[in-house]
Amino acid sequence: MKRFWLWLSLVLVVSLLLTACGGAGGSRLDAIKKAGVIKVGTSADYPPFEFVDASGNTTGFDVELMNEIGKRLGVKVEWVDMPFDSLIAGVQEGKIDAAIAAFNYSEDRDKVVDFSEVYYTSEDAFTVVESSSLAINDPASDILNLKIGVQTGTTQDDWLTALVDEGKLPAGNLSRYDRVDQIALDLKNGRIEVMMSDAVPAEALARQLGGLKVIYKGVLSSGPMNIVLPEGDAELAKAINEVLAQLKAEGFIDRLAVKYFAE
Amino acid sequence: MDSALILQARNLTKRYGANIIFQDISLDVQKGETIVIIGPSGTGKSTLLRCLNLLTHVDSGQIFLEGEEITAPGINEDRVRQQIGMVFQNFLLFNHLTALDNVMLGLTKVRKLPKPQAHEKAMHELARVGLADRAGHYPGQLSGGQQQRVAIARALAMDPKVMLFDEPTSALDPELIGEVLGVMAQLARENMTMLVVTHEMGFAREVADRIVFMEKGHIVEQGAPDDLFERPQHARTREFLWKITELYGKKEKK
Amino acid sequence: MLTDFFLYIAQGTAVTIGVTLVALPFGLAVGLLLALLYNYGGRWVSRAAGLYSLLMRGVPPVVLLFILYFILSGRLINLSPFWAGSLSLGLVSSAYQMEILRGALAAVGAGQMTAARAIGLTRLQAIRFVILPQAIRLAIPPWSNEASIVLKDSSLVYALGVPEILRRAQQLSATTGQPFLAFGAAALIYFALVFLTNRALDSLAERTKLPTQPV
Repeated sequence: MKRFWLWLSLVLVVSLLLTACGGAGGSRLDAIKKAGVIKVGTSADYPPFEFVDASGNTTGFDVELMNEIGKRLGVKVEWVDMPFDSLIAGVQEGKIDAAIAAFNYSEDRDKVVDFSEVYYTSEDAFTVVESSSLAINDPASDILNLKIGVQTGTTQDDWLTALVDEGKLPAGNLSRYDRVDQIALDLKNGRIEVMMSDAVPAEALARQLGGLKVIYKGVLSSGPMNIVLPEGDAELAKAINEVLAQLKAEGFIDRLAVKYFAE
Repeated sequence: MDSALILQARNLTKRYGANIIFQDISLDVQKGETIVIIGPSGTGKSTLLRCLNLLTHVDSGQIFLEGEEITAPGINEDRVRQQIGMVFQNFLLFNHLTALDNVMLGLTKVRKLPKPQAHEKAMHELARVGLADRAGHYPGQLSGGQQQRVAIARALAMDPKVMLFDEPTSALDPELIGEVLGVMAQLARENMTMLVVTHEMGFAREVADRIVFMEKGHIVEQGAPDDLFERPQHARTREFLWKITELYGKKEKK
Repeated sequence: MLTDFFLYIAQGTAVTIGVTLVALPFGLAVGLLLALLYNYGGRWVSRAAGLYSLLMRGVPPVVLLFILYFILSGRLINLSPFWAGSLSLGLVSSAYQMEILRGALAAVGAGQMTAARAIGLTRLQAIRFVILPQAIRLAIPPWSNEASIVLKDSSLVYALGVPEILRRAQQLSATTGQPFLAFGAAALIYFALVFLTNRALDSLAERTKLPTQPV
């Protein structure tokens, strides 16, 4: 998976060079309204934010939120399911108009895409098997000797990678996974000792799979979540931010959070 | 020009890099004549045959077929090859086609005959080599001798003006050689013009009108079979004939 | 519930088969052309074909997928994810199919060409009526292997957002927390597809086999 990431970066660099040569366009908002469709990318393997339900529909906190945003913009949302790693590139290259997948703001990402206002703030969590006696009080020092698993390309990955780069966390201790449920499985199998992820999916997984417990919750790597939008498209950003502000004011987002995240 | 002269080679030279395969070869072939070319291996006999039907190109010299220079630039080589039949040492039948289809391919694709006519002609040629009853067999189902006779039929089907045989029996088991030589002898009797490279001295002596002895890329001497076998003019010819008879004798004893 | 589960994954089969049915013939057409150019095209053309093969085989298919979809498509031609994915896989496969076919062409042997030219067939006629029919027979067994590989590689189009078997299995695994069931079902479908493909091609090879027993 590391190699995949490396190759993807290479592709992105090349694509950046090409983009630099390419022409600039106007706002996508006009095109979206004209077509009556907004193409939104997500990675439907991250319950409860985005997942596929029993009848095969894409749903979840992010999905329902975005559907409501679409409704208020007067357009239909066309969902494009992609690997999480492909989403930023998809927005950047105009293959999709926006992406919503529990994205957190990061400076690196901000260089190539724009972000909406925050729609929800998430916490990070450390999860272990139920029989474990591990305790984490100060994560930045307590996890350094543990074998830890994280999902590739997430803010948790960035946070842990920074620890590795600083020489605090041995590189061999960090395992990266494509999806969060794979980490939970390896945790249960004993290949790793602790999983770092968003708190909401961590608690959901612990409930679903059983035999797991969340031993730490707090804002470390991420926190605020934003919708990923095309770089420099102020009009589209403004339209979406206005709807977000409405939804917050009406309590829509809070009700959604209770529906998907309440225990 | 003699009206009976059908194939004429003038001062042919062929090199591969610095290697001279043959040099300054001239040969006149009369219509209906059977010429057997003999000589040690690696003397350029096979390459000479390939040059005569343009499968390989000479470096210098000219070749005439019925007075037309076929080595001239811009000549349609496919049309020339169609008029000069060739039979190879290792048969080279088209493995994916039956005996009949092997013979028919040139008729339908090169001569553009309608299927029924091509079929009739191909069956006629297979009958000529005694294999009408093997028409539906694939090469893999035929003996070496039968394969070579199909190859002869394939070449004959194009109604060639000259037939070239490149060691047609060297790849055959001894007991299968006779049937192929038999077909060739019959062709000679039918006055087909033939150039044959072979080590079969018995065939050469009985069937050939003329024997050409080649060595080291040159024609050393040529003449009627009786003259050449009984009274060779050159020491090298005598030496070769003595060696080949001894070899042939040893083969026979085995 | 269990049948719903299986059905949801099985719906991806149409995409998997669709991608394969585009990629494999496209790769065959390009690969055949390149193999002919390699074997009969003269020195420089031959080298260019060799270089193409080397490049295509040296790049992971998924990288080509991204290049074609994210970079080329939209700027030059507008390809949907399905077509970008299928054609990229086809290009990768064309290099492997070229190698298979050029080996088969070489195995037919120069003698067949000589014999064909000797009765007056042109080079193109010789290739079409004599060389190719034999080469293709020789190529069927290794080609059958390549068909299985393309079938399995078709899962890569998910990187562009085309939901085929593997992606649907991943979604279900995430939703239900039953990865063994989800991926087991996917494995079963892939296995069945590969098995059927191989059996079909085996029987094709058997039916086109040339008789060899002397009668």
